[in-house]
Order: sequence, then C-alpha cells, then structure tokens
Amino acid sequence: MSTDPGAPPTDDPGLGGQDGGLYMLLLYVVSVGFALVISAGLVAVSGNAWGSVAGALAEGAFLAPGRWGETLAVATPILLVSLGMVVGVRAGFFNIGQEGQLLMGALAMALIGTRVAGTGPLLLVGGLALGAVAGGLYAGVAALMRFRRGVPEVISTLLLVFVAFQIVGFAITTDWFLRDLDPNRPSQAVTSAALPGSVRLPVLTVWGNEVTIGFFLALLGAGLAAFVLTRTVFGFKLRMLGSNPRVAQQAGVSFGRAGATALFISGAAAGLAGALMLAAGASSARLTAGFSNEIGWQGLLVALLARNRPLLCIPVAILFAALRTGSGFLAATGVDRTVVDVVQALLVLALLVPPAVEFMRDRRRVSIAAQVTEPV
Amino acid sequence: MIEDFGFEHPVLEVDGLTKHFGSVVACEEVDLALRAGEIHGILGENGAGKSTLMRMIFGLVDPDQGVIRIDGQATRIADPSDAVRLGIGMVHQHYSLVDALTVWENVALGEVGPLDPGRTRARVRRISWRYGLSVDPDATVRDLSAGIRQRVEIIKCLGRRPRTIILDEPTSALTPAESQYLFDVLLTGVRTQGWAVALVSHKLDEILRATDRITVMREGRVVDRLLTAEARVPSLARAMVGRPVPLRTVTAAFERDQVARDLLEADPMDGEGPDRAVETGARTVPVLQVERASVKGADGRVLLDGLSLTVGAGEIVGVAGVEGNGQTALADLLGGLLRLDDGTVHVNGRTVPTGVAGAMTRAGIAVVPADRHRAGCVLDMTVAENLMIPSMRRMRRWGLLRLDAIRRHALRLIDEYDIRTSGPDASLGDLSGGNQQRTVIARALSASPEVMVAHQPTRGLDVGAIEYVADRIRQAADRGIGVLLLSTDLREILSLADRLVVLHRGSIVGEMSRDEFDLSRLGLLMGGTDEEEKAS
Repeated sequence: MSTDPGAPPTDDPGLGGQDGGLYMLLLYVVSVGFALVISAGLVAVSGNAWGSVAGALAEGAFLAPGRWGETLAVATPILLVSLGMVVGVRAGFFNIGQEGQLLMGALAMALIGTRVAGTGPLLLVGGLALGAVAGGLYAGVAALMRFRRGVPEVISTLLLVFVAFQIVGFAITTDWFLRDLDPNRPSQAVTSAALPGSVRLPVLTVWGNEVTIGFFLALLGAGLAAFVLTRTVFGFKLRMLGSNPRVAQQAGVSFGRAGATALFISGAAAGLAGALMLAAGASSARLTAGFSNEIGWQGLLVALLARNRPLLCIPVAILFAALRTGSGFLAATGVDRTVVDVVQALLVLALLVPPAVEFMRDRRRVSIAAQVTEPV
Repeated sequence: MIEDFGFEHPVLEVDGLTKHFGSVVACEEVDLALRAGEIHGILGENGAGKSTLMRMIFGLVDPDQGVIRIDGQATRIADPSDAVRLGIGMVHQHYSLVDALTVWENVALGEVGPLDPGRTRARVRRISWRYGLSVDPDATVRDLSAGIRQRVEIIKCLGRRPRTIILDEPTSALTPAESQYLFDVLLTGVRTQGWAVALVSHKLDEILRATDRITVMREGRVVDRLLTAEARVPSLARAMVGRPVPLRTVTAAFERDQVARDLLEADPMDGEGPDRAVETGARTVPVLQVERASVKGADGRVLLDGLSLTVGAGEIVGVAGVEGNGQTALADLLGGLLRLDDGTVHVNGRTVPTGVAGAMTRAGIAVVPADRHRAGCVLDMTVAENLMIPSMRRMRRWGLLRLDAIRRHALRLIDEYDIRTSGPDASLGDLSGGNQQRTVIARALSASPEVMVAHQPTRGLDVGAIEYVADRIRQAADRGIGVLLLSTDLREILSLADRLVVLHRGSIVGEMSRDEFDLSRLGLLMGGTDEEEKAS
C-alpha cells in the first residue's frame, strides 16, 4: 500500500507535494528566520548581545546539567494538552479551556494524594485516573451546554477556565478541602499540602538528567492518538464528524454523543496533564493558585502549530518547553525574561505564516477549479 | 474555420482568447463575435470553458493571450467596472444579490455617487415596465422566488445600459414558464434595443429555442459554429460531447416540445423511448411511506406541511417542484437529519424514528443529496474512506479498520461504477464533480438499500455523466429499489419517473402517472396559484 488510507490527505502540509514541498520548506525557513532577526533586533535594542541571549537559552534548555530532563518534564503536560486539543479539533470541536481542565485534574490528584489514605502506587494511579476524569468532566460541562442548549464550546470552555481558577482558590484556602494545615510548612503562601513522596511519579536518571516516566506516558499518548485517529473505527467516526457532520449523522454517528466523547477526551488529556504535573513535583508538588502556569494555553498553541497531527506535536511541545526552561537562565545575561515571551510569540506567528499561505493558495486553487468546472 | 455569416459588424469580438489555469486548459484560441440584434448561444458541457470565456469578457479573469475588440477597437478589460463602462452587462449564474436588502437597494449597490432612493425606485419601475419584468422595488430579496430574483439581477444589469449582455446558465433555478418568460424578455430587448446577447448554457433545448446563432465549445475550444435555424439535435449533442450520445437522454427533453420534435424528426435517431418494465397503476408493494410529515425550521418557517407520499418497490417516483418548496427538508428527513414535529416515516411497514443518527440508513434508505459537498461526501477523506461509510460494520475487526477490506471494497466499486480517480487513496476533493457524484452514488447503492432518494442527482453534471446517473437510477429500480427522485429539472423527472408528484410549499399538491404527464398542468401545480404564473 503506497499511502495509508486512514490519514486524511488534507493534513499533508504540502511537504510531500510535487512542487509544493520545497516551496513550503523555504517558506518555513524564511518566516522563522525573519522572526529570529526581529528577536535579535529587540534584544539589541534593549542593549544586549543576541549571541549571549541565545547561548543562555540553549544552556537553560539543554546544555547545563540536568536541564534537558527539566525541559522534557515541562514538555510532558504541554504535549498531553495538545493531544487532547488535536482529538477535539479533528472531531470538529474547539476546546480551548485546557488551562482550566488541567487545574481540575491537578485538584483531583491533590485530593487523592493528600486526603485519601492508601498505599502510594495505588494512590498515584488512582489520582492520575481521577485527574483525567475530572478534566474530562469539566470539559463535559461545556459539552452539555453545547448539545443541550447550543452554547458554542469555544466560549464555554474558555469561560470555564476562570471558574476553575476560583474553584482552585477556594480549595486551597478552605480547611476541610485542600489547605495545608501544617504549621511547619516551608512557605507562608496558601497552598495545598505537598504530595507525599510515595505518591510521586518514579524518576529515571539518564546521563545525569532526571526524566519522569510521565514523558514516556505522553509519548505513548501521541502514538495512541495517531493510531486511534487513523486506524480505528472510533477515530474514523470522529474524523467524519469533524469533516462533515451531516454525512456522519446519516451514517449513524450522533453529533451529540460522539461530540461529547471527543470533548471529554480532550478535557481528560488536559486533566491527566495537570495530575501528572503535580505528581512529577511541579511547584513543590503543591496545588497553588497559579499552578497551571499557562501550560494549557501553550498546549493549545502546540496543537495549532502541529496542525493537528499527534506525532508532530512531540517536537513542537519540546520546542515550547525548551523556550520556557531556557528563559530561566536569561537573568544571568541581564535580559528581562519577558523577551522570551516575545520570541515565543514571534515564533508562533512565523510558524503560522506558511500554513496560512498554503491555505490561501488552496482557496485560490479551489476557486479556479470552480471557475473551470462551472458548477450549475 | 467556419465561414462568417456576414451580418452587420460585431459589437464585441473575441480573437484567439486563451486561458490556462496551471495545466488545465480553460480556453484555447477562442474566437467569438457577438452582433447587435442577435442572441448568441454558447453551448458546451461543464468544464468546456464557457464560463471562463465569459468571465474574461467581463473582466473577472485575465486572459493569457488574445484580444477583445469592442466596435472593432482592441480593448483591455481589467475588471468588471471597465466592462460596465464599455457597455457589457453580465447576469451571473449564481445570483449576486444581498438577501437582507430590498430590490432597489440591491440595484443601487455597486453604483457610484450618492444614494438616491427615489430615483433608484423610479428607475427600477421604469425598467420593469419597459421589459415586463414586474418586480416590487421595495420587496426584500429574501422573500423572492428564484425567478423574481433573476429579474432583479437583470434589472440591475439593464440599469447600466449595456449593449452587450452575458447570461451565464440563466435558467438553472427557473421553472419552464419562468425560463420561457426570460427568453421573451431577451427577445424583446434584442429586437427593439439592438442588444447583443450571449446566452451560455449546457441545455440543448433552450439553446435551440432561444438563440439565433450557436457556438459549441468543448475542452476549451470552439468546435462548431452554426445558425440555429440549421442546427440539428444529434449533431449538436455530438459536437458538445465529442462522441455520439445515445439519444434517449437527449430526446427525453424534447418529448413534449413541438419545436424540438420537429428538429428531431428531421434527423434519423435511435428512437429508444423511456419505457420501463414497471407499469403505473399496478402499484407494487410500498417500500417507503411518508405520512402527514410536518416540520418547522429553527426560524419558524414551515418546511414540510402535512406531506404524504408512497414509493413502491422498483418504482421511480419523481418529485417535481420549484426549488425551495421543501425538497431539502424531505431529503434531510430521509437522511435522518431532520426530526419531524408531526407525522411518520415507514420503510417496509416499519416505523423509523426521525432525526436519529443513522436510523434511516439502517432502515434501508440511501440518500444522494443535492449538495454533495454539504451532505453527500467528505472531501477531506479518501475515495476509499468515503465509499466505506455505510459499510463500516463490515470493515472492522476489534474496533480497528480493516484496511485491506476497505481497499478491496473501494477497488471493486471504483471499477463497477467507473469512478475515474488515481486510486482508492486519492482525496475525494481532487476528483471532478462528476466522479464525486459517482462515488456518492456508488456508496448509496453499495449499501443494498430498499429506497434510494436522489436529490438533484445530475445537477452540475455534463451530458455524459447525466446519462450515467440516469442509467444507474433505472438499474436500481430494475433491481427492486424504490427510487424517490427530487428534481427541479423537469426533463430529468419526465425521462425517468414512472409517476410524479408535485411539491409546493412543503406538501404534495398533485400527482400524475407516466401516461398522464401534462406539462401545462404541471407548470400550474408547480407555481401554485401565485402571481408569477399570471405574470407569464
């Protein structure tokens, strides 16, 4: 078989095309180069040397001892969130509330890990599972509104993020809920209790870097998402729903039920991401008010840049994680770390230019085809 | 090259016009001369390059080569405003009216200078009076029928005082009466105002009925030029398609048309009429029964209003009617996309729940929808994936897709239904319209349905593909499938249906069996009793 019939051909970014491939590659190189030049210009304007900034970023992300392990740890939740996004979008639903679903997942993990008695591994697995369910159900609220009352999920998922912040705030300030009541706690900040060591994710040490098994879980997730979407009947139904809901409905794919499932999966991935972050020890394994730390939004961008292909999410997630961890080393160069946000934004824009150009080319091709075939 | 007939000097002349879109040849060395006082028919299949040619003349497409002359003067037409300034008007295939605005507002759109409601209204009235295009300038376009909308489009065009008027497939949404009316208006303008009219169409009968001169195009080239008075159907059809066409498809269109019949009799033909085994009257077992189906749209508009109909096994029932009278709702209902407020649907005597995903498909109804992109196929998916949709059950093992079975299934159907594609893995969006439709039909019939609903199955297809679709529908009926054929193209219904019912405002207002077909009664039923019929 020459090509996989399960893979929708429109997902080919044109890199495999006859004349389009080189053109697209060139486009990517040019636009990313342009973004880098602007970034360098900004750094220069702020009175610093671009070279030292780039060096610091590379040190922080990969080169300094232990840093690439850190980068992979950050990449893990970003990748998971993006996978959920991909599943939702392929089924035609734009869940953009991962930041909130991630918080709900972390909250579930914190609840199981700090408030339930049991053996460590059991609590860990239970917490992760419940974290996924919590994220899924939180997206399910949006699904319910969508399919019962026709509220667009783009709006409801986004607004539910702010509700999630309030819920977490309530949880960590309420004694009977999650508030850390230990008088000897290291910081005065209001947080949940730290997850006990027995409920943390096992860590592998590779070449002096600590890699949590969460990263491998996320890699597995990417493979699974790719497989389910292209090779299974379930994935086929979701894609059909995403591409043409009317055909899907005629064929027996219920808009409501399949759509709710897709949204649930999408939220569950974010929930799992949150639970994994906590279990991997993010913010000292404590649930805090700002625990999600924009991982949700970044995962969304990753899915966007990977153009909804699960396997492509892996490198993009690592790139985003590298920018985050790299920026931690910027302080030494005297450059404000917000410059990283600007660089990241420029990169996102740069990487979106080629698909946009391709989209416009396609539209032109379609309209030309329409002219040639003279539809009646 | 065919000789010039030596009429008066052409108003608009096109010389060696060529346009390629990538590797696609849209127009190649096309010559054309439009003369004052003459309707010039431009005949060709879909994709023959007619529309591209017209779009070049109107400045919508930039030619690669060639010259456009107006009054003998070579002219460059960069955009439609140039064209309008040079006295060219175009009535587009797809109406370019704004639904929410009134008639006069639409006419005023695109004009330069301050808005003057009073004068625009007066102008609309003046033009409607002069050409008998009765339209209320204050009516909102949304409320108007397709025929009236076209009048607005024409008034808009005439308001700019064109000398050359291009009409691109003007009758695709019109009833026969409305089409005739349009041709009468054109004829008046041509004879009294000396317009030069280019009438673009793929319908042989209207080209023969309404024009003075014909240019036939095929694959971007002019293949024949002749005076309409000397034209013969079989040779025209052959020129258009590029091979002899079994005349059954062509003749059906002319059965009731005296002019065309004379034309046909002048040429030898195979004489094969549309006769089928099923006898009307002796109604077979009903496979599909729709009873008192009523439903309102989300905006409260009545879509179906107590509609009842029955289709027997092996019977082709045509549903005639002007577009927008409930055809889409009926097709959606039978595709499981619409939940009825009242009424029932039975297949083989069993009640089928409405609006439940997949229920109609499971009950044995296969739908070939009118708008295949909207409801018929998944353009982003491959041909193989599209073909497997109704057979998903057989293509799975432990929840996994059986890629080999899907491929075999696709290869079999591609062969059986003669779908022209690079293979099962080709994206459906890359296929031509005709082949997409073949894929939709193959998919519908491969599920061995009890009932096939075909909604405008030949819209936008060329003669060859129309013939193909018609054959498939007949074969389906011969196999005992009950066929419900929804079409606004009367030719299609008259040539295929054993029995026809007329749909008007969401209910069935009349019924005729094959031997009772009566065009004038049909026209009255289709128009209901509204003022449009009286006006014509």
